[in-house]
Amino acid sequence: MFVSRRGTVRRPQIESKINRTHRMAKPLIFEFKGAQIPLQMSKVDRAKLYGFKDLEILDEEGDKCELATLAEDGRTVVGKGGTGIGYLTADGNWCDKTVLTPVDLEGRAMTPVASSFSAPIELDRRATLDELLDHSMRLVYRMDFEEGGGDQLMDELKSGAIFRFDYSFRGGLEPDTGFLLTNELDEVFLLIGTPSNIEMIGHQQPRFTAEMDEDASEDELMDFGMI
Amino acid sequence: MPEINISNSAGRDAVVNMETVHSPQRVRWLDAQGRQANNIRVLKSTIDRDLDALLEQQGELSNVGQALIDGDPEVDLETVGHFLQNTSRVFIDKQRKIVHKVQQFEIVRNPDGSERERRPREMTMQNVSGDIPLLWTGRLIDKERACRKFVFSTKLQLMHINGLTYDFLYAMAKQLHEKNSMMLLGGGPKSNQPLVLRRGGTPYRGFLEGRIDGDRYCLLLHLSNLELKTPDESDATSQGQDES
Repeated sequence: MFVSRRGTVRRPQIESKINRTHRMAKPLIFEFKGAQIPLQMSKVDRAKLYGFKDLEILDEEGDKCELATLAEDGRTVVGKGGTGIGYLTADGNWCDKTVLTPVDLEGRAMTPVASSFSAPIELDRRATLDELLDHSMRLVYRMDFEEGGGDQLMDELKSGAIFRFDYSFRGGLEPDTGFLLTNELDEVFLLIGTPSNIEMIGHQQPRFTAEMDEDASEDELMDFGMI
Repeated sequence: MPEINISNSAGRDAVVNMETVHSPQRVRWLDAQGRQANNIRVLKSTIDRDLDALLEQQGELSNVGQALIDGDPEVDLETVGHFLQNTSRVFIDKQRKIVHKVQQFEIVRNPDGSERERRPREMTMQNVSGDIPLLWTGRLIDKERACRKFVFSTKLQLMHINGLTYDFLYAMAKQLHEKNSMMLLGGGPKSNQPLVLRRGGTPYRGFLEGRIDGDRYCLLLHLSNLELKTPDESDATSQGQDES
């Protein structure tokens, strides 16, 4: 059984639905002050909060149409699943991805990271608001504690702490950044985001000033003949 | 580079640049010689040879299977493997022919999937760089509160284009920095419309954040279309950890 941190806000019917689902999902386990704390995740998105829109495309007869891709030649039509991604060497030859080595932008070899579900995540880094705001969030999860655990962590979160950590769902080369925080109702959420390329900017334009020739006479400065 | 027409607290407006701050690709793939490989989109099958087309030709799936054993009806040697560049999106009908005149409808659904409204599709128009500037609303929200109330899915950085707009934007950033707040930014004459960056684009609520460091500044437009809250009605089938 999972206990909501919202107190009386959540309705029992909804709680039972969420609990039923949570039993099936693997929890994300955090390590905080020596204790391992499993938290159940449930995805939050616009469709669940506000509903969603379906787009229906009809032809002149009122029959439904599908989206397809038209190639550059203007006559080859490719349907869903009709395209793939391949890799080409610098010479333009086909190559298998397994023979390629991943490197970062500086050319250093990259080591794949494991899935965040494979081992407990240590919560030892706190994030500032600016660090949170420097990221663009692409996923949001509601996090629920299991009964009888995580009181210390919950107290810390309630006091305003935001924890950050590397997060990867399946494992891979580029982990995202996870932020664990509470909302205004003290519900716990996990935000998954990527860092943005933000920089402080100054006025780098060169300063243009008039170079006056102090020896020039007024007649020279007012020479209308040179216009 | 996109532009934004924005006014300051004194009601003066200016058109300045907006730059995306999305992180560039962080992984490069090198071949055995240490040279960078590039990915390319290739054509696997055309619509006249996909499963539906073969099913139409052969009548039933077992016949399609036999045809695949006997030959390569799904492969068009003239097209398969072509690199796909500069493609266009088109609509096709049941006969897999391109449709040139379509009607578009939006079906608005509730969180449980039930239909709320059906209407002709409304194409949203961009409203950040028109004749009406985005007004300085003065509606401030504490940064801490904003971070715990909204999910900022994307952001843009406002950039000056000359000395005058440097002063203009720096002063705005300073004002917000000193108040440690973000300002709600909306479109239209009453500043109550969501921001739309491009025609047909997603509407967002905009929040302007300013930071300064000496004579340098950072003015960010955070965009959000999601509140940080639990859905009122949860659908058990849609819960889980799906990473999509």
